[in-house]
Amino acid sequence: MRGIVGVFHELDSTVDTIEELKHKKLGALTAYSPTPRHELEHAIDPPESPVRKFTLIGALAGVTFGYWLSIWGSMYWPLVVGGKAIASWLPYTVFGFEVMVMVGALSTVFGMFYLAGIPRLTDTVGYDVRFSGSHYGVWCECAPDKLAEVEQVMRRHGAVEVRGER
Amino acid sequence: MATLVQPADAPRRPNIATADIQLPAVKDYEQVDNEILAILKPTKAWFFGLLAALACLGLGAFSWAYQIHQGLGVAGYNPPVMWGVYIITFVFWVGIGHAGTLISAILYLFRAGFRTTIYRAAEAMTVFAVMTAGLFPIIHIGRPWKFFWLIPYPNWRLLWPNFKSPLVWDVFAITTYLTISTTFLFVGLIPDIAVLRDRETNPLRKKILAFLSFGWRNSEREWRHFARAYLFLAAFSTPLVLSVHSIVSFDFAMGIVPGWHTTIFPPYFVAGAIFSGFAMVWTIIIPMRKWFNLKHYVTLNHLDASAKMVLFTSMVVGLAYTIEFFIAWYGGVQYEQDYFWNRVFGQWWWAAWIMLTCNMILPLSLFSQKLRRNPTWLWILSIFINIGMWFERFVIVVPSLSHDVEPWQWSGYVPTWVDYGLLIGSFGWFFMWFLLFVKQLPIMALAEIKEIIPPRMKKGAHHHGGH
Repeated sequence: MRGIVGVFHELDSTVDTIEELKHKKLGALTAYSPTPRHELEHAIDPPESPVRKFTLIGALAGVTFGYWLSIWGSMYWPLVVGGKAIASWLPYTVFGFEVMVMVGALSTVFGMFYLAGIPRLTDTVGYDVRFSGSHYGVWCECAPDKLAEVEQVMRRHGAVEVRGER
Repeated sequence: MATLVQPADAPRRPNIATADIQLPAVKDYEQVDNEILAILKPTKAWFFGLLAALACLGLGAFSWAYQIHQGLGVAGYNPPVMWGVYIITFVFWVGIGHAGTLISAILYLFRAGFRTTIYRAAEAMTVFAVMTAGLFPIIHIGRPWKFFWLIPYPNWRLLWPNFKSPLVWDVFAITTYLTISTTFLFVGLIPDIAVLRDRETNPLRKKILAFLSFGWRNSEREWRHFARAYLFLAAFSTPLVLSVHSIVSFDFAMGIVPGWHTTIFPPYFVAGAIFSGFAMVWTIIIPMRKWFNLKHYVTLNHLDASAKMVLFTSMVVGLAYTIEFFIAWYGGVQYEQDYFWNRVFGQWWWAAWIMLTCNMILPLSLFSQKLRRNPTWLWILSIFINIGMWFERFVIVVPSLSHDVEPWQWSGYVPTWVDYGLLIGSFGWFFMWFLLFVKQLPIMALAEIKEIIPPRMKKGAHHHGGH
């Protein structure tokens, strides 16, 4: 992995840099910002997040498990209460719902971690500590012969620091 | 003839939409980080606060140890009043826990701008309040080491809980609520822990923070999946908030006890929970904004907007109280009528009037915008509401059990020092966690506050708002 990281003060400079680097097809881009910014998302134009698939699968698995647990537990150890059926679907909806929420939410978080590539404990290439505070950043992973051009684009758009990393 | 047109030079009272609350005194991202992270430095007042919380917790721990040694009899329970301070306090803390998820999830979905600076404190409050509530059923078991019997797992005793019992529903609801509120709090904290990690100079602390932040780097890819996941978590948490206190209310409503067996309980409990939770948010946030110089983050507009929410939920709760009396009269069931007469003019009249005064009458003051924008009054009112909401649960639990259908069952209930010790201990436990949290992690969401500040631009000013 080899590339150039640029640190920017201004949001619009960052967007302009990304747009030019993208237009010139100089390498794979990663944008950084201290807070989510739709301007950067538009500039990068990524595919929609598929987190919702994890949510759906988790929720369906959860609701199934919630109903199954209560029905199977009741059949295995039958207790007749208040003349109700051994497996009463109406009160068991509580279990279906609660377990759906729990598993659905946890699988959503799992999906976010998986798709965002975290936990990441060692890989700090192309990152600068200022990106979490007040600066924006662009990391362009590119071929060695494109490094100089990428650096030039970043400097022209007003990067406060540009450095090569590998 | 009077005119409705205001003169042009008359002072205009602010009437700001709750979705459009901005932070004009916060200029840039550096200011946000510097001012909010400055809270993390321990102070003398914080240290004394923690000592006071630990002292209360010590009293609670001693009371519990005494009860375990002597038996549950020392807690003042006598048939038929077998539920008292423990269940009242359990419901009270679950209720407190509701505002956190309401503020962080429901108000997030509704794009209510006033939540931004208070939701982290409210979320932390939720987690600690549910942790506190969860202790009380275990304390009430009398043999706390048997609590795991409530968990449905295959075992050699063939012991399965009764899945038709509201008490088992409660176990599932509270466990889910605690898990999801903790997850919600932690996921929201990840980018802020990354800020702490990047500013930390101590190598050991930096390593710990790097571990806790999962190597978060603020990349567009991370933010994109984060925002999506946060939205779905909020969408899950919204019905969860409504379900949890509905299920807690089933603990009562499923019983055929006068005063309990009523279908109004779920919405009544949910509204009461949000009402009491907001009051506790005020109890915590108002001193914090003063002590930590955060008045330009939690502005009068924020307090005004939250006061409208409190006023609304107070009126819902007040309506529920009134409807209960109306239905008792209109239903024509003698036992219900007798019970509700007894509630306000009988043995426990003082508790009912504390409840009505604190929850129905005093919050009406919030119709005045002047009082809605007066932090001192809001803080005093929050204490009254906390007291009133504890007494609401007292009024539901004790008078019903002590004044059942059969007159020969009527009796009294006197809490003992053990009950009071555990009640005080619960406040110590709650505030201990909260105070520790305040000094370890940002009490306001740095990334979300930065979202509403205009970003620095080369080509001129940017409009407010991140979206």
